[in-house]
Amino acid sequence: MTGRKILMDFEVTPTSHTLEAYAARGGYQTVSRVLREMKPTDVTKEVTEAGIQGRGGASFPAGRKWQVVDPHDGEPHYLLANADEGEPGTFKDRWILENAPHKLLESMLIAAYALGCRNTFVYIRGEFDLPYRRLQAAVEEAYKAGYFGEKILGSGFSCDIYVFRGGGAYVCGEASSLLASVEGIRGYPRNRPPRLTVKGLYQCPTVVNNVETLSNLAWILRHGAAEYRKVGTPKSPGTRLISISGHVNRPGVYEVELGYPWRKFLDEDCGGILGGRKLKAIIPGGISSQVLPGETAYELMLSHEALWDVNSSLGSGGMIAIAEGTCMVRLLQIMLRFYHHESCGQCTPCREGMGWAHRVIDRIVAGQGRPEDIDTLIRISKFNDGTTICGLGDAAGYATVDFIKHFRDEFEYFIEHKRSKNDGRLECLPEVANA
Amino acid sequence: MPEIFINGKPYQAEPDQTVLQVCRENGIYIPYFCWHPQLSVVGNCRICMVEEEGRGVDIGCNMPVKAGMRVLTESDEVKEHRKAILQFITLNHPVDCGICDKAGECVLQDYHYEYNGAPSISSDPKVRSTKFYDLSDRIVLDNERCILCSRCVRFTSEISKSCGLGIEERGDTSLVRPSTDGSFRNDAYSDNVVDICPVGALLSRSFFYKSRVWYLQTTPSVCPGCERGCSINVWHRKQEWHLQSLDTAENTSIARVTPLENMAVNGPWICNKGRDLAKIFERKRAEGAMAKGKPVSLAEAIAAARQLIVGAARPVALVSSWGSNEELEAFRSALGASFTSRVKADHQPEPGEVVEDDVLIRADKNPNSARARELFGTAPAVIPADADLVLVWGEGCDFSKIPAGARIILLGSYLAPENGHADVFLPISIQTERNGHYTNFQGVVSGFEACFPKAPGVVDAEAVFAGLGGAAS
Repeated sequence: MTGRKILMDFEVTPTSHTLEAYAARGGYQTVSRVLREMKPTDVTKEVTEAGIQGRGGASFPAGRKWQVVDPHDGEPHYLLANADEGEPGTFKDRWILENAPHKLLESMLIAAYALGCRNTFVYIRGEFDLPYRRLQAAVEEAYKAGYFGEKILGSGFSCDIYVFRGGGAYVCGEASSLLASVEGIRGYPRNRPPRLTVKGLYQCPTVVNNVETLSNLAWILRHGAAEYRKVGTPKSPGTRLISISGHVNRPGVYEVELGYPWRKFLDEDCGGILGGRKLKAIIPGGISSQVLPGETAYELMLSHEALWDVNSSLGSGGMIAIAEGTCMVRLLQIMLRFYHHESCGQCTPCREGMGWAHRVIDRIVAGQGRPEDIDTLIRISKFNDGTTICGLGDAAGYATVDFIKHFRDEFEYFIEHKRSKNDGRLECLPEVANA
Repeated sequence: MPEIFINGKPYQAEPDQTVLQVCRENGIYIPYFCWHPQLSVVGNCRICMVEEEGRGVDIGCNMPVKAGMRVLTESDEVKEHRKAILQFITLNHPVDCGICDKAGECVLQDYHYEYNGAPSISSDPKVRSTKFYDLSDRIVLDNERCILCSRCVRFTSEISKSCGLGIEERGDTSLVRPSTDGSFRNDAYSDNVVDICPVGALLSRSFFYKSRVWYLQTTPSVCPGCERGCSINVWHRKQEWHLQSLDTAENTSIARVTPLENMAVNGPWICNKGRDLAKIFERKRAEGAMAKGKPVSLAEAIAAARQLIVGAARPVALVSSWGSNEELEAFRSALGASFTSRVKADHQPEPGEVVEDDVLIRADKNPNSARARELFGTAPAVIPADADLVLVWGEGCDFSKIPAGARIILLGSYLAPENGHADVFLPISIQTERNGHYTNFQGVVSGFEACFPKAPGVVDAEAVFAGLGGAAS
């Protein structure tokens, strides 16, 4: 077991996602108590005290984001749940949307109350089918039961929710381009300043939180910030949903209490590495977080501060285990192809740099690499770091630099010998592993 | 008024300004492609990087001023970033300056020499894209040269409001494309996107491969297309580059017209009609004086006209609303007392032309109606039936409305059948051959200068009036 549970605190059955089942588990009691007894600022205070960090990738404390918004300034405010889960390797929000949509809805009601939002949105990834149907059904159930609409539960608070399906662009998971997409314009990220909490959707203060971040709120308000603080570590309270894929025996979504030992998580909970191989490397939180060598990861615990110490992060919680024998050059090629394909093309360094890096790595894999290519890749990454409008360029740069930093010998070998240092595979076939 | 420090020196700034604006006001140059003073800030070219001490580099065009902030515009890091950005921009740019109309006035060219200057470090093939894409019958688009600054897109959505352009696809295959409803083809301001394009991606068909810009010089002028009187630059061949053989008419023809920034009148824009002044000014010219269709010398023609004026009992003058302030004054002081003067509209809206809109175009298609009416009143240009002499100055006169017995003195610039029927015809110079001023409908006076010499037989209207002056006394 992976520690205490906040989100996965029930048994998943064919009907566990419905309102009936959620209500039987005590659902929507918290929001009715919040609406009766608490002031919006008290809710924000509670969330700030709980210290919950964003689960979408940047790990920014949600309470501090909220504090910028004054619920009584008379302006319209908007709350958006970012369910555009596009980070490769990440499929944790999907679990929430499929199995606990009401948890998200109740938490969004609480957040909307705290932030003074009349209208809230869920921006759901366009490719999600079952999650969309489950969420839409949950919204309809919640409306029918009177949890959304005018004067909710007899209080003076009214709130509507809209489910907005994305068009399939990775970059629209970035908060500002997500807003552009909701507004109906091209999904380009926007320059900061102004921050979205100052000028966001329709130029009004807007809070965009990840689905998992929001889904924790019902629990936090129900049990209190002090109780939440007891879960996890002092610097990273709570739990994280980790969606692990790659070369492990039991991939899937796990709720892990922060501070849980990584070795134990991989070896016991995930059943170890495929074919009993060694862990070569691990991408801790979606491909935009920096890759770590296996031996480093084994010594760490799963918490934000532990990963920050090694210049990586838990990111979006999309963990990818990479077993010994995988070709890191080809893996980077696939990642750069993704970034090239998903670069929105707005700002120069990313638009040109992603294509450039992709062409360079393609050439290396095709056996036509040149010794200076490694420096070119590093240079492209360097000038994408912090010079772009959004984080896509930075993320691709981190991935490239860390792959080269940890596995430079493989890149040099590939360029020199025109073939992979390993067998060139990304798969880890059990029979090959046993042979 | 926050005080900020740029390169160590203090400067006063307005609270809502950005670092780039403060630098521009104080003559500190920061390079930029996508930023434009009249357009919204998108910050996508990333070349206006400045360093805020203690916070690293960020784009100056979107950096709000904060009291006491310390900005460096020429630090090593800034220079390194500019160089890197230029490498990115030129990565897929064809660098075909040799055949590009923009060469010589291309911002990318300038910046490359100024901030990079190094050959490309990439040896991979460039991304290919469409060349000569037909945006409208006025503009072609070269997508390979495009650096996706989105100025043109913002222009059509924010200034001309046609929303005629957008960006399709994404990443390094993004393409500027017109909207499917064809609104760009009908955009009366579309040619401005050629001017604001920082590279040679958007090209004017009328200037396509016509001249290298360094063979040309500009002369400030005023667009006579409507009573807005937009300030323009008339581009024509420099004296030292005059052709001695081949088509020497090139030497005295308008190569192109671009806006001349005048915030009181037109800002940095003009409409497409203003670009086509050659169509107005380069019609066949009348170059010799005539009396009843027979060529005579200028002196003889002026003497004949004097005779007519002396002998007339009820002379009427149709004053041109294309005359400059100076010419109108000269007419009034020389002949105002002897003639009953009416202001005539020389030009009417052409079929298919945008008559009026809320950007620049005005319904009165004459540049100096305001001053002419000020001097000669607003009475309609109707000729009384008892008039025995009509002086027609300029175009737009309906000769069938002139009483049958009346004698006609005609001052015109272009070949027309009426020239031969007039009792006296005097060929006068056009706007590009003389200096002067127009007063627009808001009362703003703008000056124009001569671009070309007059033909020997042609005379300024001002000189004609001086010659005719005193005839009545």
